[in-house]
Amino acid sequence: MSAIETKSLTKVFKKDFSKKKIIALKSLSLKIEEGEVFGFLGPNGAGKSTTIKILLNLIRPTSGTVTIMGKNPSDKNVRKLVGYLPENPYFYDHLSAKELLWFGGKSCNMAAPAIRERTLQLLEELELIDAMKRPLRSYSKGMVQRAGLALALIHDPQILILDEPMSGLDPMGRIKVFNLILKLKEEGKTIFFSSHILHDIERLCDRAAILINGDLIRLIDVKNDLHQGETLESIFMDEVKRSGGLRE
Amino acid sequence: MNGIWSLGYITFKEGIKSRALFGILIMVLFMFAVTETLTDLFMRDIVKVAADLSLSTISFSGLLIVLFIGINLLSKDIDKKTIYMVISRPISREQYILGKLLGIAMLLIVCTLFLGILSSIPVYLSKLSYENPQSIFKWHIYFIAIAFIAMKLILLSSITVFFSSFTSTSFISLVLTIATYIIGSTSEVVKGLLEAKIEGVEISPAVAAVIKFVYYIFPNLSAFDLKIQAAHGLALPSGYILSTSLYWGFYIAIMAVAGALIMRRREFP
Ligand SMILES: Nc1ncnc2c1ncn2[C@@H]1O[C@H](COP(=O)(O)OP(=O)(O)OP(=O)(O)O)[C@@H](O)[C@H]1O
Ligand SMILES: [Mg+2]
Repeated sequence: MSAIETKSLTKVFKKDFSKKKIIALKSLSLKIEEGEVFGFLGPNGAGKSTTIKILLNLIRPTSGTVTIMGKNPSDKNVRKLVGYLPENPYFYDHLSAKELLWFGGKSCNMAAPAIRERTLQLLEELELIDAMKRPLRSYSKGMVQRAGLALALIHDPQILILDEPMSGLDPMGRIKVFNLILKLKEEGKTIFFSSHILHDIERLCDRAAILINGDLIRLIDVKNDLHQGETLESIFMDEVKRSGGLRE
Repeated sequence: MNGIWSLGYITFKEGIKSRALFGILIMVLFMFAVTETLTDLFMRDIVKVAADLSLSTISFSGLLIVLFIGINLLSKDIDKKTIYMVISRPISREQYILGKLLGIAMLLIVCTLFLGILSSIPVYLSKLSYENPQSIFKWHIYFIAIAFIAMKLILLSSITVFFSSFTSTSFISLVLTIATYIIGSTSEVVKGLLEAKIEGVEISPAVAAVIKFVYYIFPNLSAFDLKIQAAHGLALPSGYILSTSLYWGFYIAIMAVAGALIMRRREFP
């Protein structure tokens, strides 16, 4: 059974007032196996976040299907297995990181002592311990991002779906998160993440997909498909050029 | 259950720490002080006046809490995408609706309880300074009246939750909630006028039908207004309390189910 599977996923956004339609995803079929680290790349507006939102049942596909561990994402129990980091996460203003993680743990039926222990461990790891009792409103962008990552990890999920986990982080923070993802990979977690930082994807991922204007242009086995002198970046640039530039 | 409870709790926390609540509280303290000085001007039956003013203050401030904090707690979830942190957890859309309602209800209960206790100070003082042997004021009816205010506010919130399940801006929810409040507070009076059949006033059957329809669709909020009973210490038949409570529970259940059905279909792009 694949950890994540999409079959001919298509999403069309309709603009409210004009008749104009935006085809955000065109018949995307992907299979991500358990324990795999999968990078999702593509220029702005390629449809990465759209795919991820469909995986979390935040939006529904126009056609096609999605399964996570063989189940439909509209089943709430599926989300016990999944940790999600939205792009540009935003949380309740007056909650502290500690309360945010309490919510995350409690909603997954974790017991109070387990939540406490895991909270301290994650906040230590993500260097938020000193700020854990402050309201999230007072956090900087990178701190919010790290708090979001902690929320995604609180219930120790098997599958991580991260939308640009590195965005907004300083160089130190990026290394931290890089090492965290590496550790999760060693623990055998399935990680599906989008990113614009190709260098990180190249070092972290088993496979990567390039999405352009909602089309899956290429699937790359990072270890075997990169020939001498080739980098993910050069492939990416070639593919973007070949696809005739961007839509907008 | 954990899903509803955890969401209810953080919603409550988010509400109780909001600055608007602080502002409303300051206003209430001011109103109670005014009540205290105003009642000094009346020489007779001041307990009645104090009770009436205090209950009005609690009801009004509770309405402000629903309109400015309750609606904000709901619409910000959509505006700022904070709903992602909730519905990406193992929380179903139905649980989302119930959790939000629970959080707002807890906020309203805590606030009305606090204000109720606070308001008993001016009432108590007025009772103390002008003890009237004919006074029939009874504390337990006063507190039942406060409980009914809390019930009314929770009922109004359930309607707000329902509206928020399909609106995308707080402004529309605000307008719809205010309209519901006004209609709900007056529909009984209007229906009463209709049934009174005043001499010489012809009401067309169409208008009568509309008024009846509005009366049955919108919540009858005036049923929860026990100011007169509290001020005059009038007895409250237990049948009235029971039937009003049933009406209350039933209305909230319908709003929650309707909201959940809409929420289930909704997308959050
Ligand atoms: N709510 C919406 N209404 C209309 N169009 C939308 C909506 N959300 C996304 N789109 C469109 O769908 C397309 C894909 O957007 P998406 O957010 O998935 O891109 P992305 O790959 O995540 O880009 P980025 O790298 O900038 O995050 C874009 O053309 C975007 O304009
Ligand atoms: Mg995106």
